[in-house]
Amino acid sequence: MLTLEEACLDTTPRLAAISDRLAPGELLGVIGPNGAGKSTLISLLSGYRAPSRGRVLFDGVALADHDPAALARRRALVAQAEAPAFDWRVSEFLGLGGGTSDGIARAIHALELEAFEARGIGGLSGGERQRVMIARALCQLDALEGDGTLTRLLLLDEPNSALDIGHQQRLMRLLQRLVRERGLGVVCVLHDLNLAATYCDRLWLLRDGARVASGTPREVFANGGIAEVFDVELEISLCDERPRLRLRQ
Amino acid sequence: MSGGQARPETKVLVLLGLLALALMIGASSGVIGLSPRLLFGDWPDALGWQVWWQLRLPRLLLGVLIGAMLAAGGAAMQGLFRNPLADPTLLGLANGAGLAVAALIVLGGGMAGPLGLYAQFLAGFIGALVVSALVFQIGRRYRGREAVVTLLLAGLAINVIAGAGGGLLAFIASDEQLRQLSLWGMGSLAHALWPATLAAMVLLPLALLGLARCARGLDLLQLGELTAHAAGLDAQSLRRRVILAVSLGVGASVALAGIIGFIGLLVPHVLRLWMGPGHRLLLPASMVGGALLLVVADTLARTMMSPAEVPVGLLTSLLGGPYFLWLLLRRRRTAME
Repeated sequence: MLTLEEACLDTTPRLAAISDRLAPGELLGVIGPNGAGKSTLISLLSGYRAPSRGRVLFDGVALADHDPAALARRRALVAQAEAPAFDWRVSEFLGLGGGTSDGIARAIHALELEAFEARGIGGLSGGERQRVMIARALCQLDALEGDGTLTRLLLLDEPNSALDIGHQQRLMRLLQRLVRERGLGVVCVLHDLNLAATYCDRLWLLRDGARVASGTPREVFANGGIAEVFDVELEISLCDERPRLRLRQ
Repeated sequence: MSGGQARPETKVLVLLGLLALALMIGASSGVIGLSPRLLFGDWPDALGWQVWWQLRLPRLLLGVLIGAMLAAGGAAMQGLFRNPLADPTLLGLANGAGLAVAALIVLGGGMAGPLGLYAQFLAGFIGALVVSALVFQIGRRYRGREAVVTLLLAGLAINVIAGAGGGLLAFIASDEQLRQLSLWGMGSLAHALWPATLAAMVLLPLALLGLARCARGLDLLQLGELTAHAAGLDAQSLRRRVILAVSLGVGASVALAGIIGFIGLLVPHVLRLWMGPGHRLLLPASMVGGALLLVVADTLARTMMSPAEVPVGLLTSLLGGPYFLWLLLRRRRTAME
């Protein structure tokens, strides 16, 4: 669904050229140290920034050439946590990007928002708010319905940064379900390398605005590169065919 | 109060009812009292008719239009900046427009008649436009709490500059110009006669309509610019439309009635607490609420020291200034929690 042809950004922050494809039904994890260009990449994939050179195609058409309203039903984004200025009621906020009342009810159920559906968003904790943001993006795509016939892309920038460990796991399982059952393409920036290794089909490793590795978690974690990129001492083992990382004491 | 449960549309109707009541009271009270019966065509005498037709009706209409404009302009600016303290007066738009109009009065060589009126509109529009573009450029460089402080400081600086500019203009103005300046500058609907009101009846609905069409975009923008873009929003076009409409409306309002502060801060803030932040309701409700506040304030201004008249801008500032301080105190407290 999403094709990058030598797409790069010359602006600051910069991003070196990437060519790749994201298929429907694929969960792609983006990892890398602070300032590696992960959020910049998300804004490029979303079409918010146009590539300086090269192209980013969605279903074969450059992102900028799509009708914005039609594209909005097929591509949604969860940005890094930013508190809204005004105190929206959660149920009202979920419908902001569009979506049916059924879709909103499904998203409320999927992100376990029933308890504060009627509350104001300003009174929520950081993690609760993050779940509301994710649910809103799902409403926009009606992501909990349909199959892969309509290509849909969900972009998430550190969606779990404020979530407790239980909600982190349930979020990753939800993303997997969206990919497997609903045929979405999902790109998710993650800081937790074990979560990335456990749930993602494929990983991109970024460093200093360039993609330095890409492949299955096993391939990306195979050599010692990952420890060098993060400048950390790691032990990597295998568990159910998935790499598992441990900090060396 | 059961206000929280009422349907939002009902709340707008309640506001409309209150506005109708305020208009009736405003129409009948003043130095020369008129019976509310006159609204139903029961003219007591020729003097009553003169007062109603030549003075009160244009003044009420102008109050409705300017009140609606200032409040809706405030609501739209707050949505655009994602900041509940953004207000055309606080950010310096009104004073920028005021300085441009004052400069025209003093340096423009005294155009009279309709031409002078429209030149004042144009000056007010340009003054407001320059300031909003400037404030926006400053505001977009910052995020979150920092942005709030920076915006208010930018507004403060602009207000200081405009104040100094106004003082300078007053200093070099002739006696006749000085009289004209002080008549206009204090924020009053006292000069509402048909030519001004008719012009406002063309320009302000245009600006209000422009703002009303921005409601969905302003709602989307609350998601943050990046997320809103992915939800289909062209933020740049929204920004242009809001800034143009607010500058046109506030510029025209200032040209007609001087600076009437705090309506744009007060009304949307109260209404947001009452009916939520969604702009599809907040913008029309602010228009009605702003009209209500200005008509009530102007009626008070005309009657409380009758036959003398208090500039209505003083009244709204007396009401809005303390409210603004209270808002700041409250924000500080929530920030510490």
